[in-house]
Amino acid sequence: MKQFRKILKFELKNYLQSKSFVGITVFLALAIAVVMFFPRIAENFKKDKADSAPKDRETLLLVDQTEYAPLTEEAFAVAFGKYEVKKAQSVAVVEELITKGEAECAFVLESLTSYTYWVNNLSMYDTNTQVADEVLKELYRTVSMTNAGLSAEEVQNIMTAQIQSQVKTLGVDQMQNYWYTYIMIFALYMVILLYGQMVATNVATEKSSRAMEVLVTSADPVAMMFGKVLSSCLAGFTQLLVIFGTAMVSFNLNKGYWDAEGVITAMFDMPAELLIYMLLFFVLGFLIYAFMFGAVGSTASKLEDISTSVMPITMLFVVGFVVVMISMTANTVDTLLMKICSFVPFTAPMAMFTRIAMSTVPAHEIAISVGLLAASVVGVGILSAKIYRIGVLLYGTPPKFGAICKALRQA
Amino acid sequence: MVLEMRNIQKSFGEKKVLQGVSLRAEGGKAFGLLGRNGAGKTTSIRILMHVFPANGGEVLFDGAPIDYNKVQFGYLPEERGLYPKKKIIDQLVYFAELKGMDYKSAVRSVDYWLNRLGMTEYRNKRLDTLSKGNQQKIQLITALAHDPHVVILDEPFSGLDPVNAMLLKDVVREVIAKGKIVLFSSHQMNYIEEFCDSIAILNGGKVALSGDLHEIKRNYPRNRLVIRSTQSDAIATRFGEACQQGKDGELLLTLASPDEKQSIMKLLAETYDIDEMKVFEPSLNDIFVEYAEKEV
Repeated sequence: MKQFRKILKFELKNYLQSKSFVGITVFLALAIAVVMFFPRIAENFKKDKADSAPKDRETLLLVDQTEYAPLTEEAFAVAFGKYEVKKAQSVAVVEELITKGEAECAFVLESLTSYTYWVNNLSMYDTNTQVADEVLKELYRTVSMTNAGLSAEEVQNIMTAQIQSQVKTLGVDQMQNYWYTYIMIFALYMVILLYGQMVATNVATEKSSRAMEVLVTSADPVAMMFGKVLSSCLAGFTQLLVIFGTAMVSFNLNKGYWDAEGVITAMFDMPAELLIYMLLFFVLGFLIYAFMFGAVGSTASKLEDISTSVMPITMLFVVGFVVVMISMTANTVDTLLMKICSFVPFTAPMAMFTRIAMSTVPAHEIAISVGLLAASVVGVGILSAKIYRIGVLLYGTPPKFGAICKALRQA
Repeated sequence: MVLEMRNIQKSFGEKKVLQGVSLRAEGGKAFGLLGRNGAGKTTSIRILMHVFPANGGEVLFDGAPIDYNKVQFGYLPEERGLYPKKKIIDQLVYFAELKGMDYKSAVRSVDYWLNRLGMTEYRNKRLDTLSKGNQQKIQLITALAHDPHVVILDEPFSGLDPVNAMLLKDVVREVIAKGKIVLFSSHQMNYIEEFCDSIAILNGGKVALSGDLHEIKRNYPRNRLVIRSTQSDAIATRFGEACQQGKDGELLLTLASPDEKQSIMKLLAETYDIDEMKVFEPSLNDIFVEYAEKEV
């Protein structure tokens, strides 16, 4: 236990004193702070612009061949706020002005239900015809109803009828939880692959520098493995805490500016229960993979071998990630595959959390999944310590999986 | 203090690396573990230090099964290496702490040894800024700082300049004088001969020869004479096949039996012009070559 503490302290100091670790943490924290402050900054710029130079609006020409001229002109002026709507006399004028570039586009209305849209270059994002369709439909209905003998007030009421509605969620709000889940899965993905690689490299570095020869005769391999993995876990959490802490603080400072963005606001308003599950699955998921990465790192004798050695673990993780991501986006989180995944310890952190967040999972299923996962973390931890003990003294080409199993049985 | 290995067996897969190795090393004395590459020296050391368990046999300390929580080992591995990018003081203190020292005594002890080996000026430097020989001195501290009961030195003199070799010899003598068990593994026979009272030669995972070095030498058949003479050719002709050329123009004369020694020496002294004549005593090198080269 004493040894474990010494190792943990030494390894943690390694992380916290490393320039790249501090650099990346500060950079990400700053980046996220900038994002959170962006609306405030943008608003200031906008104000400046509005004061200095009002933007010239493009011209939209309207040729009205119907008998509702003043009505159409008024409606188009309202609907196309970003244009200066001008009347034109004929199609010839329209063609000329558009070609010269003095007007951007033109509507030639033949009747309330048919028109021609003139434009020089039709942009991919041009929605003017859709707007015009709406305007004309409304006009047509209004005119038709008036003609049928309804009063102006009655027409008004029909056209602006409002539907009152409310949503009552008994299970979970998938729309809101989608984003937490998305962020958690992505964070887990990045942190596990990043830190897992770090643990593997750390072990392999000791081996390639032969510091291992002394280490393995000085410390218990179980203490060594747990010390290394838990220190990387703590380092990872310190990093996440700094980054998400900065995000939280800078969000709260700028809360007023984010009101319009429902998704962002909802994201910072995560229910406590979900947060606890998130932390739980995060820690357990991190540990189980970090142990495996550590064990694999110990079987590589050169740093160059690491990337090939960790491939199977990375693949396992990526497969789980893809299954969860697809289920999430397809909104089928309760399929049989997902259910299986949420009990298999290697995919449970992602799959079970996703199910909890986006569906209703019975408490006993959660308990079984967490129990299996926690037991596997301890099991994989001890097993990886054993592999470590054997692996660190093997030099040369990385041993085959079978050879390790054989050695394990003998040890 | 007595450290013993009794009938230790170890296999890696199908390969039998140790087949019944027994050794005995005493406190206040140095023990030389010899053998060619792949003879099983490192495996024996690792089993002694409990890096992995043996398949059979036992390790005893003072006659009882060894308790690794109580008996401390210091180890200078043949494959040297620590943390190249770390400050020297930091890593030395870390290793001493891993061996159970508290922080303060670890710092004190490391500072003592840095001073003793003339390395104090490098205390706060990174390891990879040091020369190879100096890195080796730093590594020696990891083997000694925690004041272990047993010190295992694997090729301790390789790569050291004569001045540093002298310094290391002094340190080793000090450690032996303190009553520690010192276990040497080396291919530099002159150092083993200088320090070790007893030796064991491993060959193919078995002990080919072991015991007190002086006794081994004394018990060597005393049936060979080393002769330096101005009339070498005449002597060689007279004794025919029994006479071989030794090094530096010496003749090596093998007698039919040690009993003939006296009479033959007398005969030679009376008949030829002899500069020097003595009974051949094998060097450790000779003994090693004889016992380690046979295929077992």
